Amino acid sequence: MTEADQKDKTREINKDGVLSLRNVTKKFGDNVVLDDISLSVEKGKCTVVIGPSGCGKTVLIKHLIVLLRPSSGEVYFKDRRIDNLEEKQLNRIRTHFGFLFQGGALFDSLNAAENILFPIRQHYRVTASSGIDELVKTKLAMVGLDGFQDYYPAKLSGGQRKRVALARAIALNPEVILYDEPTTGLDPIRADTINELILKLQRGLGVTSVVVTHDMKSAYKVADRIVMLHEGKILADGDAEYIRNHPNPIVQQFIKGEVSEEDLAVIRSSGIISKTQFEPRD
Amino acid sequence: MIATLGANTVRDITNIGKFSRFFWQAMGASVRSCVKTGTYPLIWAQMNLIGVRSVPIVMVTGAFVGMILAIQAYDQLAGMGLEEHLGVLINISVVKELGPVLAAVMLAGRVGGALTAELGTMRVTEQIDAVRSMGTDPIRHLVVPRVLACLLLTPALIIYADLMGAVGGFFVGVVHLGINSWAYWNFSASGVELWDVSIGVIKGFFFGGAIAVISCYKGFTCREGAHGVGQACTEAFVASFISILALDFSLAVIFKAIYAIFWPLRSLV
Repeated sequence: MTEADQKDKTREINKDGVLSLRNVTKKFGDNVVLDDISLSVEKGKCTVVIGPSGCGKTVLIKHLIVLLRPSSGEVYFKDRRIDNLEEKQLNRIRTHFGFLFQGGALFDSLNAAENILFPIRQHYRVTASSGIDELVKTKLAMVGLDGFQDYYPAKLSGGQRKRVALARAIALNPEVILYDEPTTGLDPIRADTINELILKLQRGLGVTSVVVTHDMKSAYKVADRIVMLHEGKILADGDAEYIRNHPNPIVQQFIKGEVSEEDLAVIRSSGIISKTQFEPRD
Repeated sequence: MIATLGANTVRDITNIGKFSRFFWQAMGASVRSCVKTGTYPLIWAQMNLIGVRSVPIVMVTGAFVGMILAIQAYDQLAGMGLEEHLGVLINISVVKELGPVLAAVMLAGRVGGALTAELGTMRVTEQIDAVRSMGTDPIRHLVVPRVLACLLLTPALIIYADLMGAVGGFFVGVVHLGINSWAYWNFSASGVELWDVSIGVIKGFFFGGAIAVISCYKGFTCREGAHGVGQACTEAFVASFISILALDFSLAVIFKAIYAIFWPLRSLV
C-alpha cells in the first residue's frame, strides 16, 4: 500500500463525522454502483465528491439522506444508524437536511414562494400572522432572487431555478446541505454564483455541505476536502492540493479533463461518414 | 427457457407484492387523512381537477349510452309488442351496468392517464424525491388526495351518467320513436328499484379507488424518460380497464347473492 493509499484509507474510516457511510454497497440488479464505500463527512466542512458521469456520485449522495437504501452497509447521522429506519422516522431526520437536486426539482404547479413554503408548511403551523411573506423574502434574498416570489418554475432560467431550489433547500435552516451537480448546465458566471452561494451558506450559517460534481473549477473553489469516486470505489480522498498532486493517473486524467490514449486512438481510427454515402430525400 | 420463465415469475410476484404494499399504504394514509384537516385543501383541489372537470365527458357518455340502447332495443321489443317496456330495459341497464362501467372507463382514460402522466413526470424530474427529502411522505401528500377525490367523486359522476342515460333513452324512445311517455316512465318506475341504483353507485367507489391507486402506482414506478412516462400511462389505462371489468363481475356476483339473501322471493317475481 502506497503512502497516498494509506492516507486515503485513514480518512475513509474516520468515524467522527456528522454523516457517515460504512461499507456501503449498492447494486441495481447485477450492476454494482457503490462497492464497499466508507466515507465520513466532517461537521461544518464542505466535502466534494467528484468522478466521471455514471460513477455513482448521485447514488452516493442519495444514500446520505436515505432516498436510496444500501444493498449492504450502514448509514449514520450523528452516530445514529438511519438506513434501517422506517420512512416515518426518516422524515423527522430529513428535516435536518437540505437537498439541491440536479434539475432543481421545483414543483411545477407552485410558484417560487409556494415552493419555498412547502417544507415549512409540512412541519410548522403557518398562519397569516406568522410572517411567512417576510420569511420567503429573506430566503429569496439570500439567493439574490427577491422579487421573484410569484414566478412559476417554467418562467425561470436554469440558474434561477437552481437558486430558488437552493432557497427551498435552506427553508428549514438545515444542518447539512447536499448538492447534486449544482453547477451542471449553467454558464460560467451562473455556475460561479452558485459556488459563491454554497460558500456563503457554509461559512455564514456554518452548515455542513456535501457537493457532488464533475466541475473541477467548482470543486477547487468550494471544497475543504475532495473525494474521487471511480467504478464504485473511492480512488482518492484529500484536500484540493492533495488531489492536484495525486499520483494516480486516473485521478490526474480526470482533474485535467483529458481523454485517455485508448479513447483517443478509437476516435482517430474511426471513419468519417461522407454525405455521398446517403441518398438525398426527395 | 426455464430460467426466463422463473425470472418472469419472480418479477411478476415482486410487482404484485410492491403494488399490494403501495395499495395498503395508500389506503391506510387515506383513512388517517380523513381526520386530519390539513389534507382537506389538497383533496379539494383534486376533487375539482378530477371530479368537476369530468362532469361534461361523463354526461355525454351517459347520454349516448341511453340513446344507443333505445335505438338497438326498440325493434326487438316492438317485434313482441313490448315497446312500452323500453324504459325499464334502458334504465336498469344504465344504472346497474353500462352507466357505472362506461363512466369509469371514461374516467380511467381522462383522469387515470392524467394522474399517471403527472406523477410519472414528477418522478423522472426528481420531484417525488424532493418531497421525500423535505421530510414529507409522498403517499400522504400526492397519492391520498387523488385517491380520496376519485373515491368520493366517481359515485357522484356515475349518478350524472345515470341521469343522462335516462334522459338520452327518453329522448330517443319517446320523442324520436314515439313511445307513450306515461307508459315509458311508469314501466321504468316499476322496474327500477333503489337497490339497482345503489348497486351502480357503490360500484363507483370500487372503480374510483381502483383507477386512482393503479394510476398513482404506475406514475410512482414509471421508468425514466418520455417513453417511460408514455408506457406507464398505457399500462395504467389497460390495468384500470381490466380491473373495472373484473370488479364489475365480482360485485355483480356479490350483490346478486346479497339480494337473494335479503329479498329471496322478489327474485322469483
